[in-house]
Amino acid sequence: MPRITVDGAEFEVAEGRTILQALDDLGVLMNGVEIPHYCWHPKLTIDGSCRLCQVEIEGMPKLQIACNTQVQDGMKIHTQSDRVKTAREGVMELLLVNHPLDCPICDQAGECKLQDYAFEYGIAHARTQEPRRALKKRVDLGPTIVFDQERCILCRRCVRFCREIPKTGELGVFARGDHSVIETFPGTPLANDYSMNVADICPVGALTTRDFRFKIRVWFLEDVPGVCTGCSNGCNVYLGVANNRVYRYLPRRNDAVNETWICDAGRLSYQEIGASDRLTRARVRGEGGALEEQPLEAALAAAAARLSRVVRAKGAEAVGALASPHATNEDLLVLRRFLAALGTPHAGCAVVRGRGDSLLVKEEKAANAAGARALGFGDAAPLLERVRSGAIAGLVALGSDVLAAHPGSLELLRGLDTLIWLDTRHSELETAAHVSLPVRHAAEKDGTLTNHAGRVQRVAPAVEPPFEALTEGEVLWRLGAALGLDGFAGAFDARAVSKGLAEVSPAFAGIDLDSVGPEGTPLRKAGA
Amino acid sequence: MQSAPWVTSYLTEHCAADDFATLAGYRRRGGYEAARRAVAEMTPEQVTELVKDAGLQGRGGAGFSTGLKWSFMPKGGDKPKYLVCNADESEPGSFKDRLLLERAPHQMLEGILIGAWATGAEKTFIYVRGEYAQAGRCVQHAIDEAYAAGLLGANLLGSKFSHDVVLMLGAGAYIAGEETGLLESLEGKKAQPRKKPPFPAQHGAFGMPTTVNNVETFSHVPHILRHGAAWFRGFGTEKSPGTTLFGVSGQVRRPGLYELPLGTRLDEIVFQHAGGPLEGRRVKGVIPGGMSMPILPASQLDVPMANESLRERKTMLGTGGVMVLDDTTCMVRTACVIAYFFRDESCGQCTQCREGTGWIHKIVQRIERGAGSPADLDILLDVAGKMEGQTICAFADAAAWPIQGLLRHFRADFEEHVKHGKCPFPQSFEL
Repeated sequence: MPRITVDGAEFEVAEGRTILQALDDLGVLMNGVEIPHYCWHPKLTIDGSCRLCQVEIEGMPKLQIACNTQVQDGMKIHTQSDRVKTAREGVMELLLVNHPLDCPICDQAGECKLQDYAFEYGIAHARTQEPRRALKKRVDLGPTIVFDQERCILCRRCVRFCREIPKTGELGVFARGDHSVIETFPGTPLANDYSMNVADICPVGALTTRDFRFKIRVWFLEDVPGVCTGCSNGCNVYLGVANNRVYRYLPRRNDAVNETWICDAGRLSYQEIGASDRLTRARVRGEGGALEEQPLEAALAAAAARLSRVVRAKGAEAVGALASPHATNEDLLVLRRFLAALGTPHAGCAVVRGRGDSLLVKEEKAANAAGARALGFGDAAPLLERVRSGAIAGLVALGSDVLAAHPGSLELLRGLDTLIWLDTRHSELETAAHVSLPVRHAAEKDGTLTNHAGRVQRVAPAVEPPFEALTEGEVLWRLGAALGLDGFAGAFDARAVSKGLAEVSPAFAGIDLDSVGPEGTPLRKAGA
Repeated sequence: MQSAPWVTSYLTEHCAADDFATLAGYRRRGGYEAARRAVAEMTPEQVTELVKDAGLQGRGGAGFSTGLKWSFMPKGGDKPKYLVCNADESEPGSFKDRLLLERAPHQMLEGILIGAWATGAEKTFIYVRGEYAQAGRCVQHAIDEAYAAGLLGANLLGSKFSHDVVLMLGAGAYIAGEETGLLESLEGKKAQPRKKPPFPAQHGAFGMPTTVNNVETFSHVPHILRHGAAWFRGFGTEKSPGTTLFGVSGQVRRPGLYELPLGTRLDEIVFQHAGGPLEGRRVKGVIPGGMSMPILPASQLDVPMANESLRERKTMLGTGGVMVLDDTTCMVRTACVIAYFFRDESCGQCTQCREGTGWIHKIVQRIERGAGSPADLDILLDVAGKMEGQTICAFADAAAWPIQGLLRHFRADFEEHVKHGKCPFPQSFEL
């Protein structure tokens, strides 16, 4: 492996990589080794046009762009020499010659690489008195993205993204020289399933998402690491949080899961967290046949009373459970123990399927479908068959996915003697439920989720629900305690629960809340 | 064309003859004999070595050794190899290739054939600028004749060697004359130069190993094969052998094309061959090699026209387009014209070029209008300095050098504009 020296520090790097790639591989680029860049992006082809990443290499007369210069053993690179600094100042000054400098009204302010690098590497005064380019300030490139042509520095990341990642190629650079503008090709609006990523990779305020722009200044946001729950891919995200509210998801780089991308549907799924149709109160079906709000403890007591009546009348095996593919591994482990303590094996998991693609979007529209399977929750069809036959009279249902996954199941569940329903949002299942209990969204939980490929990833509370809601695990824990079942004494503790995952499934050996790192941990393969 | 250029040598000797553009006329004067001999009697390596020994330098502007360039092509390999003939002559002040395309297309084709044998190329793309419609027709006619005579295509000249030639007409961008910009355009894309590496010899047209040579470069090759390296070195200087076509334009009595040995003095070209300035005028400055080359003042025309000597005067031979400016010329206005051209033609990829060409144009325009300040002159030099040598291709250098040259030798013109707040010259044309 070649060894290179950057500003006196030695690095062993992979063969055949360029300087920026090699430093990025090692995780030191802009994280110890500062080589500013605009057009280069680790997941896009090399462009070599912004010229900001020029470095001095001993033995080469001209400055070289670090993005396109291959490493060679013994290469000595200087990133902070006077020549490099002068070149960077030149690039920064020239990038700003036509920039509108409208930072006070620009939504990118605070996370703008033009601001950051101008401050870090530019000169403090402007020498130009010429009129700046006047271009379009608000172009709808498609339904999701708004474009300010004046702010664009023509790094062409967005153009390459559309050509190389979704391979839809809606964007191009039109005209030449300082008349160059980015536009969509006629008749092809920017409307692919990944369109909003262009706003993330745009280093300046040229591309912003219609969803997030002008909602909040980014410096008020705290970036909390989390996982998207839109499908079973489990794309890593930062939840942008302020005022106990999630304002956006931004993709968080994880080369094993989503690289640096996220699909538009997943990105917008943050809206579920603060959705207006969240279940906010525990409810119990009253004498008049309607669900009536009750204090949580009273609703739990009512649920326990109904379940024990079923057990008394028809035996424990008359009780079944629908696991939720949205619940955490810890929630589902508690459900497993709850059923075992009650003495019934009847459970299943309904997963809604939809369209997938070859990039990120998976057909299973739930974050923990694989986790549910790993913890022994198979298909829901046999369970529903037992409901139909009358063998199951009492059901604990986590989530409402059964409605979409098994058409006709609503009628079936309406015939149940007892339906205890836990969910985050209103659904038609409330017409069949006898007790309805609000639960937390993954963004409000401590726990782990297992993605389609068996990678266990951590979620931690980014926000607190503004109403009383527990995790499914804690609801079941308290229900178990109310039923007097063994093993549910004391307070629920997700961390402690997680240490028991491996007891249920050897795939979880060595995995618990504390062991899962920021990029997740793969499940053990059978026999490994 | 009724009259020959005023001075001719081997390259343009027969260009005045109307039948020289036909296969019969070309063959009557010994045409394709060198190609036949190369293919039948020489190895590709011998041909490359001969061209290397002759010291032929590319005539497209950069002056790189042609034989060396051919030797960069990979030997063998399973990928097809291509030649590209750069006939996108787009440098303002340059009009030499047009003559060779229209009056001597078979001479160029024979050079291509020899180059193809030397590099093992299976196909040549001739990229002719779209504005050269007549040249395109002449070349296509010559290609058709050559195919019909078995000089192109499969088993040409009765050998086992096959070579195809395809004509492509460009669509009008200066930057399509840059070799990798040309390759992009050839592939049907926007003419934007490619970052290097990879170089065309590894990854050229359609991803295949490719060598790009200029029209005039190819046209010299048959003569080298016919007469040998020593003969070729009998023309020109030790480092820059051969003749070249100087295209003289501007304020002189006899503008035109002059085939002269490299190393001919610039003042000889301007005053002797081109007849010197118009009645009552004095030469003020001469751009020696097309618009992108720095200008020389009248006092520095005693220079041999070869890169090694021109470099000492901080300019280059370029494409040999000699542009003569006399004492009625405002050098700030000249800067405006040059800056406008490069601003308009910058492909816009690299920051320095895209923004720098525009900024320079705006400043020189302001100075010409009389609104300049002394600080502007330093900003011009500083911006030009920041464009130089930092971009994907040499366009930014080509845009920076003439401005540097004008300020180096004619700073007084700029200062006068700034001092008096107006242009002191007659306003002969609209900006």
